[in-house]
Amino acid sequence: MKILVCMKQVPHQDARLDIDGDGTWIKEDGIKFEINSYDTFALEEALRIKDAGEAEVVVVSIGPDRVTQALRTALGMGADRAVHVNDDAVAGSDALAIAKLLAAVAKEESPDLVLMGLMSDDGNATAVAPMVAELMGIPSATGVMKAEAEGDGYRCERELEGGALEVVDLPTPCLIAVQSGLNQVRYASLKGIMAAKKKPIDTKGAGDLGLADQVGTAAAKAQIEKIYQPAKGEGAEIIEGSTDEVVSQLVGKIKELGLL
Amino acid sequence: MGTILIVAELKDGSVREASYELAAFANKIGGDVKSLVIGSGVAGEAESFAKKGGGTVYVADDASLANYNVDGYSAAIRAAIDASGADTVLISNTPTGWDVAPRIAAALDAAFVSDVFNFEDGAYIRRVFNGKLDARVKVAGDKAVVTVQPGALPAFEGSTDGSTETLAVDTSGARAKFVETKVAEAKGVDLTKADVIISGGRGVGDPEKFTEVIQPLAEALGGAMGASRPVVDAGWLPHEYQVGSSGQVVTPKLYVACGISGAIQHLVGMKGSNFIIAINKDPDAPIFEVAQLGVVADLFEVVPALTAALAEAKG
Ligand SMILES: Cc1cc2nc3c(=O)[nH]c(=O)nc-3n(C[C@H](O)[C@H](O)[C@H](O)COP(=O)(O)OP(=O)(O)OC[C@H]3O[C@@H](n4cnc5c(N)ncnc54)[C@H](O)[C@@H]3O)c2cc1C
Ligand SMILES: Nc1ncnc2c1ncn2[C@@H]1O[C@H](COP(=O)(O)O)[C@@H](O)[C@H]1O
Repeated sequence: MKILVCMKQVPHQDARLDIDGDGTWIKEDGIKFEINSYDTFALEEALRIKDAGEAEVVVVSIGPDRVTQALRTALGMGADRAVHVNDDAVAGSDALAIAKLLAAVAKEESPDLVLMGLMSDDGNATAVAPMVAELMGIPSATGVMKAEAEGDGYRCERELEGGALEVVDLPTPCLIAVQSGLNQVRYASLKGIMAAKKKPIDTKGAGDLGLADQVGTAAAKAQIEKIYQPAKGEGAEIIEGSTDEVVSQLVGKIKELGLL
Repeated sequence: MGTILIVAELKDGSVREASYELAAFANKIGGDVKSLVIGSGVAGEAESFAKKGGGTVYVADDASLANYNVDGYSAAIRAAIDASGADTVLISNTPTGWDVAPRIAAALDAAFVSDVFNFEDGAYIRRVFNGKLDARVKVAGDKAVVTVQPGALPAFEGSTDGSTETLAVDTSGARAKFVETKVAEAKGVDLTKADVIISGGRGVGDPEKFTEVIQPLAEALGGAMGASRPVVDAGWLPHEYQVGSSGQVVTPKLYVACGISGAIQHLVGMKGSNFIIAINKDPDAPIFEVAQLGVVADLFEVVPALTAALAEAKG
């Protein structure tokens, strides 16, 4: 059994977001990065399947040099090998180009199961996972809160609105995009981190995957023209002052609302 | 002007509000509007949608489409795109929409833009970074698949003189199999009945802080505790405390958001509250856009002080 986990490295959730010079993305220098939160749950799910039986877990990430750190973390947590698509030409790609690259890696690996996140914390696209499945020609389910081996595939519980769940059976090979919270994610142990140093990271470019002409800004069909601070509406009345002053205004308001 | 295909969605047998919002969105983009209704025994709903914004409505009516199935729906949408000659496909960003829409874009090698809330000067507008920034997205090429945030635009309310057309769909290749829908379990804590909710987010930091900081304020006001999703994901509080699109939708007299940034999925669960106070150390946090009163400060200073002051005020 082989499991491919697709992970994106994203700005840390508490990172300062300053807009870059040409206004199309944030400034990346000087900020911390981390594994996309949804993808940590996907990796954990893969490692649990491995713990419960026999599986090879391969992690793949597309991004610049900094991504090595995310891959090392994943290897430290228990993944067996990593593929790093590192190519300057990929910068500015849209979700579809990223999906093409991941599907090309998946074609080389031919996994039984592909695990991904529902959404990236930076672009919030919720796009890449179903696209990879379509390009691979395999069934998929997104927003999955539970996945269990059943018959010749996986029984998945997809989260719907308001906490309802939709149960769907997928025959393998299949792709599952997980929702946050489907498991509790482990930390890399010291032993794991040491062992990870010897695990291989295979680096590739878009050309190696036969996709040199389909990536980057020029090939993107959906392109960010500009990012900016959302227009401020009426907004809240901000109470200023010392903690005592703030608190006395809050108490006044709560009295006025008749809640005291 | 091109042709826009609206993929309507049924909920409990009726076309849902979000689909009428797509009709309004289609008018905003401008073009010839056509629609698709998918399901089993849905001819009546399709007829009525044709008269209320749907235009020419293709009806994919088949027993195999009674429940959502990614492969069956995908086949139906692609058949409707062929039949309509649409260059823009609009789908609501619901659990169905985000499951199937990207597959359509990949199959057509089309532009894909998700969760947009507006269309302005030829570009789609969407939130990025969990609500902290906005992006203008332009599409290139001759086809685009766009998902639209439910609730972003008022629903279409006029009438149209559309009609329906039967659409043949071959669902025999479906691999994903619908098993059942499990309804949400009854909650031990019913936040929808609380007059006051003190909610904590990832900014609260750890489960002990909920007991030490958030709970005492809730008690001081005779209210309930609430939480954002990461708090529940981390196991700090059970799911019944979660407020938002995948938790409870609440409308208390007072909602206090402590250390919650204000991502759209949280906002839809609480923005209908009568009065909202937000406490967050980030002045740019989107939560301040829906709050009436805001405090830009460390919640660990303000919340305990507020709890103490309330105890004193009560005497
Ligand atoms: C399909 C789907 C469904 C979802 N459903 C829900 C849902 O039902 N409910 C929900 O809440 N989310 C939901 N989410 C997740 C949502 O997108 C956000 O990730 C989540 O709401 C963020 O929670 P948060 O505000 O607590 O965390 P963050 O966004 O990390 O915000 C933490 C905030 O705390 C502030 N802070 C930190 N320390 C302090 C301090 N000491 N004092 C004051 N402020 C501080 C920070 O400035 C920051 O603004 C859903 C997502 C998806 C994709
Ligand atoms: N650059 C990337 N490298 C590897 N996986 C990615 C990348 N971008 C997106 N993904 C995967 O696609 C999922 C959904 O991301 P998105 O469609 O961008 O919101 C993520 O959770 C990852 O599993």
